[in-house]
Amino acid sequence: MSFAWRTAGMNYLQYSSIAARALRRVVKADLQTEIAKREGVAIKFAKWDNGKAGALNNVPLIETRPKAEN
Amino acid sequence: MSFITRAIKPATRLAARRFYASEAASSGKLIVNFALPHESVLKNHEVSQVDLSAVSGDLGILADHVPTIEQLKPGVIDLISESGSQKYFVSGGFAIMNPNSVLNINAIEAFKIEDIDAQAVATNLAESQRLASSAKDEITKEAAAIEVELYEALQAALSGKAK
Repeated sequence: MSFAWRTAGMNYLQYSSIAARALRRVVKADLQTEIAKREGVAIKFAKWDNGKAGALNNVPLIETRPKAEN
Repeated sequence: MSFITRAIKPATRLAARRFYASEAASSGKLIVNFALPHESVLKNHEVSQVDLSAVSGDLGILADHVPTIEQLKPGVIDLISESGSQKYFVSGGFAIMNPNSVLNINAIEAFKIEDIDAQAVATNLAESQRLASSAKDEITKEAAAIEVELYEALQAALSGKAK
């Protein structure tokens, strides 16, 4: 099975983060303060080579709204 | 003689299989564990049926369902028990059906349908649709398309509830 987002170069972490962020946006206002705490969670990865960690990189989250809104 | 044994063999095999199936069916209830990274929503929760939408299609899961792992689409998880139905909307995740009538559901985000703001869904759907058609780079377009799919599923779930 192939997904459109996968062929566009996205991975599952990015896909699921986009979907989760989209869902958080539309939750009723009285729950938003609680939800805001888990916004902006990121995953970092490093490639290990010969027992040594390489540079630490972020899995970039793709922005779909102007920065101020997120 | 060999003719007789050949005739008997399939019959015994069938009987053995029947015995196994009836034994498995006796466990009855479906047990659901529903977990998010930040919260355990349900633990050892007894239900009679769970409806969920997987990438491979919509499923209704009863006790003794065949073991399977399904990737969840953004959609509704409907937990049906004798006291009624509980509906959650998940952003996506996995459902793992175990051989012992235990269903584990993992999702990134899940909210009860009544906690969703229908007005916000409509405005965000419009915004994501605009971005999906106007974004310059492929990856932003695809990200917006994911959001459009989620909001459309959410609108369908909200209108289904109003009926």
